[in-house]
Amino acid sequence: MIAYLCAIGVIALIYCLLALGLNLQFGLTRLVNFGVVAFFAVGAYTSGLLSLQGAPLVVCFIAAGVLSGLLALPIGLLSLRLRDDYLAIVTLGFSEAVRITIQQESWLTNGVQGLPGLPKLFSSWGGGVSDIAIFTVLAVIVGLVCWGTVRLTRSPFGRLLKAIGDDEAALSALGKDPARFKVQVFMVGAALAGVAGAFYAHFITFITPEQFIPLITFYVWMGLVMGGSGTVRGAMFGSLLLMVFLEGSRFAKDWVPGVSEVGMASLRLAAVGLALILVTLYRPNGLFGGSSK
Amino acid sequence: MTWIDIANLLINGLIEGLVVALPALAMTLVMGVNRFPNAATGDFLTTGAYAAVAMQMLAGAPLWLAALASVGITAVVSAGSYQLIFRKLVGRPMVASMLAAIGLGFLLRSLISFFAGHDQRTFDMPLVRAWNFGGIRILPTDLLIAAIAAVCLLVVFVLIYRTSFGRQLRAVSDSADLARASGIRAKGLMLCLWLLVGALSSIGGVLLGMKAIVMPEMGWESLIPAFAAMVLGGIGSPVGAVLGALLLCVVQELSVPLLGPSYKLVLSFVVLALVLLLRPAGIMGRVQLVR
Repeated sequence: MIAYLCAIGVIALIYCLLALGLNLQFGLTRLVNFGVVAFFAVGAYTSGLLSLQGAPLVVCFIAAGVLSGLLALPIGLLSLRLRDDYLAIVTLGFSEAVRITIQQESWLTNGVQGLPGLPKLFSSWGGGVSDIAIFTVLAVIVGLVCWGTVRLTRSPFGRLLKAIGDDEAALSALGKDPARFKVQVFMVGAALAGVAGAFYAHFITFITPEQFIPLITFYVWMGLVMGGSGTVRGAMFGSLLLMVFLEGSRFAKDWVPGVSEVGMASLRLAAVGLALILVTLYRPNGLFGGSSK
Repeated sequence: MTWIDIANLLINGLIEGLVVALPALAMTLVMGVNRFPNAATGDFLTTGAYAAVAMQMLAGAPLWLAALASVGITAVVSAGSYQLIFRKLVGRPMVASMLAAIGLGFLLRSLISFFAGHDQRTFDMPLVRAWNFGGIRILPTDLLIAAIAAVCLLVVFVLIYRTSFGRQLRAVSDSADLARASGIRAKGLMLCLWLLVGALSSIGGVLLGMKAIVMPEMGWESLIPAFAAMVLGGIGSPVGAVLGALLLCVVQELSVPLLGPSYKLVLSFVVLALVLLLRPAGIMGRVQLVR
């Protein structure tokens, strides 16, 4: 039971990290990143592949964050100077391009078979203890990111980001260059997703391209918009809600008779779709954020 | 690679381009008028294909009748989704409509896969042999697909450029406020637009299914190419969307001998990125719509 709770806890914290990254990008700066899973995947594969080459895990994690962040640079430069819906289209296309490339380039990534047998974090401490250790380390990191985000929102830089989200034209009129800040925030959010991917890789220890479908991106979006984007509290609460939903729908299979595993997956997708529609329609500020615009 | 291979790829690219032009046109119409990239377009395609499959399987209808019924069903789904969702998001940030569109796409796809399963399906069509002109092979079915797509595009262009409906639509697309001030009623116009979008997507889905197979992810997989075609042609420009789709698909086909068929989607993304880098307005677009 403790092992199960610990496993859920780790996955929940990984989603928290993704949601916090997206919260920086969308919640604060209104950057529509529909390719969260791309940076998550790049982080997971970077760290996984390096670790298989024998690199120490610390190096792998740093490389995962750095590479994901750097990858966001061209994407950001490409689209952030244009209207904001371009970023949405480009990131969505990017996430599919990344997944297919991972699937096809089997000389590097072992293709659809994926990478089995990745080293687990703290594995030398034995099964149960290593899970608790991963949970603790992740919790500390998530805590630090939360603290950093709150500090950031109160700093001059954070006010600048909020101003970009509110009224970009006014900001340019004040002589600031919004595009530069947008690219920076976009990269930081992507790096967080990359680190989340590294944790995922070295917790699950087996990654395949199928784990990095666009649905993951919209799990994170669903969590963030349900919790209420723009605040750390919203991102954390939303990830928790998401986890309850994901785990709950796994158990629901035992209660709903006559629905197969595949049918259940369809119903889960339907619930995600419906939630995205209903929240945007009726709760734009999150479930508990009031219904005003 | 001989010139005959190239000619074959070229022909295949043009045929595919005509099919992709349908969703690209549907998307660019919505983009021009409602100002958001309709990410549910792909799943409208899937809805159309499955509606036709269902009509063939359950009612035993011939393909043309099944396709007609599917046009009606998908048009209603599309107009209904506007009425229930997107109409209420007018005036809200673009991301609200886009998120809702993604959600709608998931919802449609999951309902389809729940009831129809994940098995691949095909239309009940007579098998025909390809015509062979000294190495250049043309499938009569492909010609039929291309002809239907071309006729549909023609009909839509007549609607947009030669009817009062089209004139009003273009007026709203240019300036919604000005259009309202001149007495254009947006309500009925929008419903007609979304009926048209659904009909276009449905035909696109059926043609796509005729060319290959029908499965729940087929629409989602053609979403990125349709996006790329729309941006390449210039957002909001109907002619651009068609040109963009033709150009994109020809380039995609020509890349197949070099990169293999799996990289088509990646190539769509690369084209999208290159257009944004070099000429964000696309072939036919206006710069002010871009920035």
